[in-house]
Amino acid sequence: MSSKVYWRPIGFSCLRIEEWNEEFTLYQPDSGKTHFLNQMGMQIILDLAQSPASTDDICQSLAAQFELCLNQQFSQQIISILNRFNELGLIEKVEKESSM
Amino acid sequence: MTVGQITLERFIVLLSNQGIRVRVGPFNVQINVTSTVFANQLYLLYKDYELVENDIAEFHVRVVSARSIKRPFTSHVRFLLDGQSPFPILPEEQALAALEWGINLSIAVRVNHLLLFHSAVVERNGQVIVAPALPGSGKTTLCVALVHRGYRLFSDEFGLLDPQRGEFLPIPRLMPLKNESIGVIENYLPEAQLGQKIPNTQKGTIAHVCPPKESIVRSRESAKARWIVFPKWVADTPLRLEQLPDSEAFLLLANNSFNYEVMGESGFQAVTHLIKTCDCYQLVYSDFDDLINAMNDLTN
Repeated sequence: MSSKVYWRPIGFSCLRIEEWNEEFTLYQPDSGKTHFLNQMGMQIILDLAQSPASTDDICQSLAAQFELCLNQQFSQQIISILNRFNELGLIEKVEKESSM
Repeated sequence: MTVGQITLERFIVLLSNQGIRVRVGPFNVQINVTSTVFANQLYLLYKDYELVENDIAEFHVRVVSARSIKRPFTSHVRFLLDGQSPFPILPEEQALAALEWGINLSIAVRVNHLLLFHSAVVERNGQVIVAPALPGSGKTTLCVALVHRGYRLFSDEFGLLDPQRGEFLPIPRLMPLKNESIGVIENYLPEAQLGQKIPNTQKGTIAHVCPPKESIVRSRESAKARWIVFPKWVADTPLRLEQLPDSEAFLLLANNSFNYEVMGESGFQAVTHLIKTCDCYQLVYSDFDDLINAMNDLTN
């Protein structure tokens, strides 16, 4: 058995989301803050609301959805976004045990 | 009864004793002034405001004589809101400016049941133009020009949005022109009623413009917004009125509010509703005739 780190959203059902031509405003009642997200940022939140996922899974899924090359630079950008969302309290890390 | 319907002598007696209580848009303001050096000015500029007798006042403000340790032989005044002094004393000749700034400050810090935008707001044909802008962008000058060409003044400073009804509330107050804009308006609108020039204030020279009487009389008539225009005066620039993306307008408008975060979700919902129901533009102008033509075309 080993543990794997997953990301999952925090309070997704309470968020108020509005779309403005492929850009999004997202009101977070817990903090009282409004966040501005582009399509990829919003997709990360929506995907995680469907199912928690690891960083690698998120990168693969986004690269496929947005038809982008999955390379180190792309992964670094996604990691930065995930860390930022984590700081904002939009998502959190959880560890899950998995069989090897 | 309006201020102008009592005599100047009675006005001064009231002002310096129990104070006068006037209705300013949705608020009643109790004004008590011990330094009556500017009472004549106040009487002229406030002549169309309704005196309130029985309703309670939301704001109790005073302008009282004060002594400066640094300048003991010069008369000064202190503005007080409910007995508290929110900014330093000012020379007595700036008493009117102190009163007007003080009332604005009182509204900005005390009102949290309405969403407050730092914005000029005018109405034409029953619909409101909201013109949010940073200080120095020419909101007051724009407002003075428009309200002397048939637009109803809601405010040159505050957009008061009732989030429950989705309507803007008028709060027609004196409009303080600053520095070069005083001469510009004197030339363009000789009919505008300006108070005395107050030099050497922290914002330079100031002269207050009286709102048109109709705007004060109709200050109970709220209205929905139809246009959001972010204005900027730039010298010698041809007028440009360009549509703004909704997301950018949302960001600009929310950042422009005094109390967006304090309002919580109702602030978010109110700004969302505004952006969805209004056309949003960026306006650059230098010429008043061009400005008025463009605004007339927009609101026709």
